[in-house]
Amino acid sequence: MTRAAARGQDADAPGVVALSARGLRRAFGTERAVDGVDLDVRSGEIHALVGLNGAGKSTLMRLLLGLQRPDAGRALVRHAGALRDVGEVRPEAFGQVGHLVETPFTYAELTVREVVRSAARLRGLGRAAADRATRGVLAELALERWADRRSRTLSLGNRQRVGLACALVHEPTVLVLDEPSNALDPAGVVLVRRRLRRAADAGAAVLVSSHHLDEMARMADRITVLHRGVVVGSLPPGGVDLERQLFAMVAAADGVPTEEALG
Amino acid sequence: MTAALEVEALKLRRATAARVAALAVVLGVPALSVGFVLAAQRAPGSQAAAKVAPMITGEGLAAPLGLAGQVLSIGLLLAGGVLVSWSFGREHADGTIGALAALPTSRRAIVLAKSVLLLAWGLAVAVATVALTVLLGLVTGAGPLDDAASAAAGRALAVGATTALLTLPFAWVASALRGYLAGIAALLGVVVATQVLTVVGAGAWFPYAAPAMWAGLGGPEVAERVVPLQLWLALPVALLGVGATVRAWDRMEVR
Repeated sequence: MTRAAARGQDADAPGVVALSARGLRRAFGTERAVDGVDLDVRSGEIHALVGLNGAGKSTLMRLLLGLQRPDAGRALVRHAGALRDVGEVRPEAFGQVGHLVETPFTYAELTVREVVRSAARLRGLGRAAADRATRGVLAELALERWADRRSRTLSLGNRQRVGLACALVHEPTVLVLDEPSNALDPAGVVLVRRRLRRAADAGAAVLVSSHHLDEMARMADRITVLHRGVVVGSLPPGGVDLERQLFAMVAAADGVPTEEALG
Repeated sequence: MTAALEVEALKLRRATAARVAALAVVLGVPALSVGFVLAAQRAPGSQAAAKVAPMITGEGLAAPLGLAGQVLSIGLLLAGGVLVSWSFGREHADGTIGALAALPTSRRAIVLAKSVLLLAWGLAVAVATVALTVLLGLVTGAGPLDDAASAAAGRALAVGATTALLTLPFAWVASALRGYLAGIAALLGVVVATQVLTVVGAGAWFPYAAPAMWAGLGGPEVAERVVPLQLWLALPVALLGVGATVRAWDRMEVR
């Protein structure tokens, strides 16, 4: 039994929609960051969101996490067996959600162990469970060597690992990770890929965004392409030359030849 | 709430800002108060004595304790206000707000935990400041801890408690404007307004001026005119500040 299931939360059957965007829209001034997105993230799947800078990936993730309010449409998360508006089930639904969007949860003055344990406590684990879970996730992400170092002394890559440890420490059934392999060395990239695969295999619904198409091709079960706030298509996971396919898709959406989109 | 209190207590305990601010008040206020009174008594003709004489009321140990109340009314407001602004504003400046705002621990619990701990910090600093002033006064032979000195110590503690409450609304400024510098700017504005109102002897109804005036910063006559209700106004101001901060966090969007 997973820890989430032990706490009485939904351990969803594979294929059940755990996180969903329905006609989501959000503009900042005249810029339409997310412009009518429909997207389902299913249990047991790694769903990758790819696109160029400014495509709206981070905004879409923030809308799904209730960190921003949509102008129109709905951001839904599965809670107590049904899909519910994220704003209505906050904060209780977040016991089963783990997220890392842009800045890792680190405090310069705390040690790595203290940061991760704090995240575990704030994510609903009791004291003893938080200690156990912290030890486990530090080992999994190869952070034991730095466990008693202050966060301010860490490299960018290790700070990212700490951020991931905080998102994973409570074994969530829904994971939302923006550029999880940001600043990671090749060993870290492999570690994260394995860890996310394990989470999905255990039934978690995983939404990740990335610029690394090769990495996504290896990791994802489903790849959605976002461009100028709109879903413009999907790419075959495990496919070859995804970069070319992505640019062709983006160019088609912009109505220009692929070479022009490549600059 | 327990988890939020535990985590915020750990952050506050480790924060350099909290230590520096506490030491500045706890060591600075007794040293200044006892030092100035000694200077005024031992070198009555000196320039320092002439400047500080109007601020000294009472005899014996009551003199440094009375002065400590006055210095505490400004010192604790500045040190505590900076710490409150930093504690709330840093979550925006450090980018940790995105993680804090989507947890099973509610945003309200985090705001309340921070507020309770920062108030406790202010009260502890006030108690330590008054205790150290008494100790330093006794050691330097200012006089015994008689009734007058106890009353002055009580007044300094009440000034400290009132001032600690008044630091809490800066959390709202730092939260609404997403950074500690905004909170600190508002604090400086309030300190300037307080000084002006205290010096002209008006405005004990301005909650930030009342404790300083009651402490004697505008002279003994002004202090006599301050009524308890004017001091008690700090309580609704603090509650309104915390309430507004909870509301700001609840409605906040993370960008």
